[in-house]
Amino acid sequence: MGRYNLAPQRVQSHATALLSAGRLATPPPWYPILSQIPPSAILSRPALQRSQRPGSKPSKKSRLFKPLRLNYEEDRLRWEYFNDHPWELAKPRVVLEDEGRDGEKYDWSVPLDHSLRRPKMGSLSEEGIELDQDWDRTAESQAGRPINGEAVVQRTNYLLKHSSGHTHATASAHALSEFARLRHYQETTLRVAREEAQSTGAFFGAGPNEVGMKLEDVQYENWRKWAGEQVEALRQLQGSAYTGNEAETLESTGEARAALQEVGGSVPGSKRGQEARGGAAIHA
Amino acid sequence: MASRLALSKSTPLAHLRPRQRRTYASEIESTYTNPHADQQFIAGALDGSKSHAVQSATTSPAPTTPDPDQVLRDYEFSQHQKAVTSKIGSTLAPHYRPHELLSNPPSPKDITLELLLASQAHIGHSTSLWHPANAKYIFGVLAQTPSDPIHIISLDATAAYLRRAAKIVSGVTERGGLVLFVGSRGGQASTVVRAAGLAGGCHLFTKWIPGTITNGQQILGKCGKKVVDHRDEAVPGFEEQLIKSAAVKPDLVVCLNMLENYVLLHECALNNIPTIGILDTDCNPTWITYPIPANDDSLRSVQVIAGVLGRAGEEGQKKRKVNAARGRLPMRQDHGLEAPGEEGEGVGGLGKEMSALMAAERFGEDEVELEGRDVGGEVEEVDASLLEDGMEAEGVEVPYERDEGVDIRNWDTETGERMGRRSEQVGSAQRSARTGGSLGGGERSHVDPTWDGETGERYDEGGVKRR
Repeated sequence: MGRYNLAPQRVQSHATALLSAGRLATPPPWYPILSQIPPSAILSRPALQRSQRPGSKPSKKSRLFKPLRLNYEEDRLRWEYFNDHPWELAKPRVVLEDEGRDGEKYDWSVPLDHSLRRPKMGSLSEEGIELDQDWDRTAESQAGRPINGEAVVQRTNYLLKHSSGHTHATASAHALSEFARLRHYQETTLRVAREEAQSTGAFFGAGPNEVGMKLEDVQYENWRKWAGEQVEALRQLQGSAYTGNEAETLESTGEARAALQEVGGSVPGSKRGQEARGGAAIHA
Repeated sequence: MASRLALSKSTPLAHLRPRQRRTYASEIESTYTNPHADQQFIAGALDGSKSHAVQSATTSPAPTTPDPDQVLRDYEFSQHQKAVTSKIGSTLAPHYRPHELLSNPPSPKDITLELLLASQAHIGHSTSLWHPANAKYIFGVLAQTPSDPIHIISLDATAAYLRRAAKIVSGVTERGGLVLFVGSRGGQASTVVRAAGLAGGCHLFTKWIPGTITNGQQILGKCGKKVVDHRDEAVPGFEEQLIKSAAVKPDLVVCLNMLENYVLLHECALNNIPTIGILDTDCNPTWITYPIPANDDSLRSVQVIAGVLGRAGEEGQKKRKVNAARGRLPMRQDHGLEAPGEEGEGVGGLGKEMSALMAAERFGEDEVELEGRDVGGEVEEVDASLLEDGMEAEGVEVPYERDEGVDIRNWDTETGERMGRRSEQVGSAQRSARTGGSLGGGERSHVDPTWDGETGERYDEGGVKRR
């Protein structure tokens, strides 16, 4: 091909040619293993890419051999959830994975507010199962689930897939109600704990709002200093255009200003007319 | 009830289990003496430092040298304390620890799709930045934000190509090849050093100096070289030959960031050196011999891949050493060195300096200074076991161990095994191997193994010359 240098793919055949011509006395150490495991084919196109939804044709012919777009149902749910709750995006979320099987340890059949639904001690179900023990066993593995927007999405997905009778709207409403109940509980406990601590003498640092206000104040002060410099520079520019002496004019002195204030209201052509003060008209 | 197989101490592999010295609390606490036991209080100085500590009313003499037994006892006590107290409290489930990718890297048998997924090896670049030749390695396009869709690399392709590359690395190191690991991005230095250490190769984590291979004499001229035998022990007697010999080139190059190292890969192509590289969605697949389609921007994925290749090199080194101990040596190397002969054999053509050196050595003087030769940085090794023994005269006392050598025609390139010790006449067989272009029983060779390309003579299977 024109633009491609395929020498790296031809390393083995090049060495064979050198050996047969006698340019190389002995094969290099990589020769046997490369003959056992030759380089794979490159620059080959994948097969025709068909859409995931059967029956739909590709939007453009140029996309026939390009990689397909991946559509997941959870993405739609995420889009809806974070559109409705944009401030949930501000909550920190850990995306680090341990071994890649993190999703397998979460059971989304367990409701999101499971921690608020502990049965009374000693209660039994119809079959005689101890409900509180059963709750403990579930909580051992599922209490570590992060309950956030992602949990809502996964719970909605589970309800849609596994419980018949749920529509999209009812499933998401159900998951959201569980989430809201737990979130309300968490926020209340946080607030009460904060108040209790403050009542016993604890004090907290600046919250995010206060920190934001302080940062804004710093920026405002910077702007004010900058604005003052700009005004001063403008004044000097305007002043340098005036060629005359920068002597004190009559207007600028205090007594002249006071004199002007006295006669400020008397206009000759007005209804009131000029005040009769005697003497000639006062000039600046 | 399922029966459990209990491993007793008499199992065949019990002797290979690592022995742990059990430390009992009682023996430590009985022997431990607190060095601060006599201190009544420790007072700080006025400036807040503790340099003027008051020990006690009767000042005990400060020990000038710490008692080595006490140091050992203190160390054992601290280790005992850590072992006892570190696990108190909540138990931590097995989780990802970043340092373990360097301290204990995964090996080729640990390659799983889950591991690659957790290491973010599937994340490609923006779709507008791709190289279309990589289309077959791409799983699809993920558009979490509609404005910036990215390509997702297919992890089964990553796993398959990574296993293939691991086999290549282990195969090269098994036959005594030199692997160079290159990773010049930030944070890749420790990765590259560790992988090269495992594989017994070389590393580079700074910019590749253009011409290091093509202009090796100039750039690597000041680097020291040494000759080692099949047991990796240095062999003396080649110093003057090494001064003039060419700079050693790597036999395989593993590049962790292809886009920045185009010059290196081009030089390898010019010098017929196979290369392995991490191929991201925006890289050119024609630059390397063996691609590994994966994410090269995530340090975690780079560490997993380099760790796997390092472990593969380690396995190859282990096999090579086992084979060398058994006397099964790899093929000869084309290093161009001659056996160090008698006095005067090599004088012809040498300068005044070299002849003076040789004269000094003959008198047995130690540590002759060679001017202008710095032995630093890279040390290059050449197998002395693969020297031509046919050149030297009979009965010469040589400083290295002689071995019968390997006839290349009897070496099966397919399986890497010797097809049988058919050549009894060692000298003539080796001469034919050196001069001829003969190969082993490989199917891909186009050369008649019985034809000596250079001298035009025919050789029998048993190595006997016939006209």
